[in-house]
Amino acid sequence: MSDVILSVKNLVTEFATDEGRVRAVDDVSFDIKAGETLGIVGESGCGKSVTALSIMRLLPQPIGQIMGGEIRLQGENLVNISIAQMQKIRGARIGMVFQEPMTALNPVHTIGRQLTEVILLHKKISKEKALKEGIAMLDKVGIPAPDIRMTEYPHQLSGGMRQRVVIAMALACQPSLLIADEPTTALDVTIQAQILELIKELQNEMGMSVLLITHDLGVIAETSASVVVMYAGKVAERGNVYEIFDSPRHPYTRGLLESIPRLDTEPKSKLPIIPGMVPGLLDMPKGCRFENRCRYRKDGCLVAPPEAEMITEGHEVACYEWRELKANVGGGGDSADFKLSADL
Amino acid sequence: MSKIPLQTKQEQALLSVRGLKMHFPVKEGVFMRTGKFNKAVDGVSFDIAPGETLGLVGESGCGKSTLGRCIARLYQPTAGYISFEGTDIARLGRKDMMPFRRDIQMIFQDPMESLNSRHTVGQILEEPFQVHSIGNKEFRNKRVKELLDLVGLPARSVTRYPFEFSGGQRQRIGIARSIALNPKLIICDEPVSALDVSIQSQILNLLIDLQKEFNLSYLFIAHDLAVVKHISDRIAIMYLGKIVESGEGESIYRTARHPYTQSLISAIPVPDPHHVANRQILVGDVPSPINPPSGCNFHTRCPQAMEICKSVVPTLSDEAQPVSCLLYEPSKT
Repeated sequence: MSDVILSVKNLVTEFATDEGRVRAVDDVSFDIKAGETLGIVGESGCGKSVTALSIMRLLPQPIGQIMGGEIRLQGENLVNISIAQMQKIRGARIGMVFQEPMTALNPVHTIGRQLTEVILLHKKISKEKALKEGIAMLDKVGIPAPDIRMTEYPHQLSGGMRQRVVIAMALACQPSLLIADEPTTALDVTIQAQILELIKELQNEMGMSVLLITHDLGVIAETSASVVVMYAGKVAERGNVYEIFDSPRHPYTRGLLESIPRLDTEPKSKLPIIPGMVPGLLDMPKGCRFENRCRYRKDGCLVAPPEAEMITEGHEVACYEWRELKANVGGGGDSADFKLSADL
Repeated sequence: MSKIPLQTKQEQALLSVRGLKMHFPVKEGVFMRTGKFNKAVDGVSFDIAPGETLGLVGESGCGKSTLGRCIARLYQPTAGYISFEGTDIARLGRKDMMPFRRDIQMIFQDPMESLNSRHTVGQILEEPFQVHSIGNKEFRNKRVKELLDLVGLPARSVTRYPFEFSGGQRQRIGIARSIALNPKLIICDEPVSALDVSIQSQILNLLIDLQKEFNLSYLFIAHDLAVVKHISDRIAIMYLGKIVESGEGESIYRTARHPYTQSLISAIPVPDPHHVANRQILVGDVPSPINPPSGCNFHTRCPQAMEICKSVVPTLSDEAQPVSCLLYEPSKT
């Protein structure tokens, strides 16, 4: 297991809200191997971003807390270390890229100042040398005229260029893990293609692992070797990208894959849907959390949440009825006349 | 519907747009003098037939939303014609425009911003009838219930406020409001972009159902080509205020002609790990519409740009799949 960079085991993260404690991440486990890209996919509120924030120990304080589990970065458990130790890890061993580059950059400082700040914080080198490294890094992420850009402010750059700067900052200290939380969601498709390609190139060159968080199954299929599908704070299914896309065994994974319009679907045909919506974190069903939207539901699903079951090596699914899904491969989705029962 | 070119016969079109321009003045300097113009929409022509969906695709800043707002007459266009059932509405005043507002409705991207948060759903859905003085209280209440049923919301929603609903349900309220007055054309501006994948398909299905039931025409504006292709009969691709290519969804996808369309299609991540992307990555960003490039405004990013593209402006051809590119205009080169 020496080639595992990050190992998350039974992670539980809770938030204290006025209405009570909310479990945003519940018993989440996965491993990322060296040089590998792992994608976490799920819809809003599924806990994918909270998982990333837990790994970075950047949960909003004091309401967010890791209640259990382990987060091991190259063997070292990050859950219990001090803030000072964590600060040494952030930026140096784990880099992070967020969705909105404008909020990740400080609007009143130049690109150069922000970029060299990261380098100076983690490396014992002179300012001049840090400046040189910063310029080299901007060049690496494909920013034209990097020495001029160093003197400019974030608002002078386009969205795609800003995201390149954020990537340059995240990778300035050659981290072994890059966490990218929806890095291309705010960008146009042609710019998204540029950024995804850039991350891939840099990954090949620097050998880092990438934890990619997105709601876009297309982005996952294209970039990730392993996939974790999250639903309502839990892992619904995980496995390698081919298992997840070719033989999804969780009704939610299958529902997601069927419901996206593709370029080759029949125009104006009825899309199979997942009826209803995600239950609120405060009133989760007692049994399986997908139970109220699932077309494979049996009585047993209402009693207790399903444990993750290993189907094949590395392919795990948390569903009592996963065997039912096999018989149904290519069977299409819900009947076209499915009437939505809007829960209020 | 196999061979309807961009310019359908005027008499069969519900909406005919010709040479539409929307130039916003850019104020500069201490005296706020208008020096330059933001040419958000710069000479656009297209038709929409009754019951048809025209999908409008482009990246941020290409002018697609501005175009939609011009047609809904939220803006007064700088130049051009918007012929709705034969009447040019581009320059109609507030009063004269009133009857057309019933026929042309709009659905916005963010239903939280487009629904008044202080009004109940009942009030929101009743407002169109009040504005146009239609029916009495009894009739309106009945209609509101019908509308809620049509979009798949329970009748008890009437007394609730928008914040009590999820994003998908709010979009249903927005859709109910837009169909309240039996419009003929609905301008859908990124109606599913803010929604989760599993909710997105619910809303797309609803829009397709409503179109069939009421023979609605849609101008469907979005940046997601897969979504647009799914819902549209024809697609127009916009770049920097101009339509660069249009045609049937299937043929645009299979035989894209304009280099921009080709790049746009190749840039879409395909949700299939076996798919080998044959990607043409465009360099650089979309130039500013305040200071667009000379000649063909795509030449700065075009992988097939020729010397001539810097000076000669291409025109949209008159074919089944019109394209605006000098590669297809040998006479100019």
